[in-house]
Amino acid sequence: MQTTAVAAASKRGKASPLTDEQKILLFRNLMLAMALDRMMMRVIRAGRMVGFYHEGGIALAPGVAAGTFLRKEDILWPHYRAHGLAHMLAKGIDVKLYVAEHMGREAGCCKGRSSFHFSFPQDHVFGLSGNIGANFPMVVGYGFAAKYKKTDQVVMNCSGDGSYGEGRAHEALLISALWKLPVVFWLENNGMAQHSGEQDLFPGKEISVLAAGYGIPAMKVDGQDLFACAETALAAIAHTRSGKGPIFIECRTLRAQEHSVGNLNNEGPVKRDQKLMDEWKATRDPLKIAAARLIEEGLLTETVFTEWQAEADKQADAMDEFSEASPKAMPSVEELYTQVYAGKGN
Amino acid sequence: MTDTRELTLCEAIREAYIDEMRRDERVFMMGVSIQAGSFPHTKDLTPEFGTHRVVDTPLAEPAIAGAAIGAAQEGLRPIVDFMYAGFSYYAGSEVFMQASQYYFLHGSQLPLPLVFVGTCGVGRRVANEHSTLPYGALIHHPGIKVCMPSTPYDAKGLMKAAIRENNPVFFLWHTSMMSFKGHVPTDDYVVPLGKADVKREGTDVTVLTAGMQVHTALKTAEKLKDEISIEVIDARSFEPFDRDALFKSLEKTTRLVIVDEDFERAGFSAEISAQVMEHGYDLLDAPVKRVCHPNFPIPGGYMDVYTMPTVEKVESAIRDVCR
Repeated sequence: MQTTAVAAASKRGKASPLTDEQKILLFRNLMLAMALDRMMMRVIRAGRMVGFYHEGGIALAPGVAAGTFLRKEDILWPHYRAHGLAHMLAKGIDVKLYVAEHMGREAGCCKGRSSFHFSFPQDHVFGLSGNIGANFPMVVGYGFAAKYKKTDQVVMNCSGDGSYGEGRAHEALLISALWKLPVVFWLENNGMAQHSGEQDLFPGKEISVLAAGYGIPAMKVDGQDLFACAETALAAIAHTRSGKGPIFIECRTLRAQEHSVGNLNNEGPVKRDQKLMDEWKATRDPLKIAAARLIEEGLLTETVFTEWQAEADKQADAMDEFSEASPKAMPSVEELYTQVYAGKGN
Repeated sequence: MTDTRELTLCEAIREAYIDEMRRDERVFMMGVSIQAGSFPHTKDLTPEFGTHRVVDTPLAEPAIAGAAIGAAQEGLRPIVDFMYAGFSYYAGSEVFMQASQYYFLHGSQLPLPLVFVGTCGVGRRVANEHSTLPYGALIHHPGIKVCMPSTPYDAKGLMKAAIRENNPVFFLWHTSMMSFKGHVPTDDYVVPLGKADVKREGTDVTVLTAGMQVHTALKTAEKLKDEISIEVIDARSFEPFDRDALFKSLEKTTRLVIVDEDFERAGFSAEISAQVMEHGYDLLDAPVKRVCHPNFPIPGGYMDVYTMPTVEKVESAIRDVCR
């Protein structure tokens, strides 16, 4: 059993399983994800968003990697950083409908009534929960259903380190291992849960060691290295799709800002070190790291970078405009009463 | 006339599982030790349906309840047996928040057909966790349907309706009624959710109740038959609740006693009293009277005499509304 290993396999000198096309796709997905994240920050700061927003910042490479190689029928439960926009756009979902949802619009993917929840059932993305860790029981169900229906669907179960405090996480590890369910436990560990640091929440340094107790193979990867994350995602998806049961991936990433917009930025009683966070933004930005690599490999130039960046920003702005153009969702109370239960059964 | 046989309540529920699993491959069951059959309604189902459709799980209620939601989202029609309904409280987030409210919150796009099953009921001296009746708490949360049978006929019909329903349903049954016998047709039938049943007709007082307490009410009605004519209405479903059936009865009797084995405070009986006050005040000739579990935790031991609705308590309430 492989308990730890792999890592930045994409370091120069090692052969990468990624094609040039895949690298460019990943890079542009990350670029768009970060552009969307900036746009969402502008929207919430302008007071045009309903509900919360949890900035993704420089923590979006794992999400892009987790989503990019999934098939339409694979189940994705995104992590809530940047509200799963990175994961979902990478899976090919029309996320402008989710942007509109954040603004409470009729065009929203849940008719403007869910705040920051989402649902794209046709794309096998079923929702976000404000109750952290709610994903774990559901992914048992997705995995069970895949086996029951004898499909080769993969369940990409993304979550943060905080969610592993929930008993549900341990129940899901247990049952997934017991029933050999096709679940990727994709941990995006930024070392912070709300305003508490990992040293106050976990007895060890790595959460992936939990997997060993359940006989689940685990891998760790640098979450700031987009291509390393992507290689690991490919390996994890292949492992799971081939019927070998669950796998645990720990992406080590960074939270260079407060938990949610307008909130505290403490670690316990102490304010977090702004200088350190600024340094991370300068040196550990996954887009800059990936761009340097692509330039080195001759797949990107500064000029093309600027062009693509402008395109991504334009796409993000278009989603904002699309949402603004849609009327605020205000159905009548009578209509809402008709929406509580689904119609006739089987 | 269709053929009927005498079955126990649990045998009737079991027949519903068998019928519906034969009818629809998407139906499967999950729970702790259901293969052996902690209770007889899940006994010996594996020879026909296999361990992949009658699935024993670890003791992990949140995961089991959430797995039902996930499996339903992926097109299956799960039945989750919590064994005791009190055990479902472990899965509070899944039952009250996720299953109940998913459909509405996520834009009413994807129906969530699933059934939670749990046994409950006071009077077995086993204290709160093995007795608690969660229907008051459940109906507080919009989005889940809740029912409880008082006869084997209703048990089979309600369970079949629950399995065919396109929404989450919590099916409760009373532990003390496990071996309660009654006639059940061999032919296919359902008892629709949201349809009350007049279990005894009367003209002076309406007693609204459900589950095991239907029988307490019937015994009381029989005892008082020469004095007071009592109509016994079995709610069968707490949500949707058949208010029309109740009001139709009140038009005749003008007096209402609610017998509710759950806690008195903020439960089913409180809800129905309020509905009658708001929408049926003119129908009444006397204030509504309730017989409920007192507002302290369900004790174990010999104190069930204080907590169970009894013929004496129901009689006293009926006499009160007739004064």
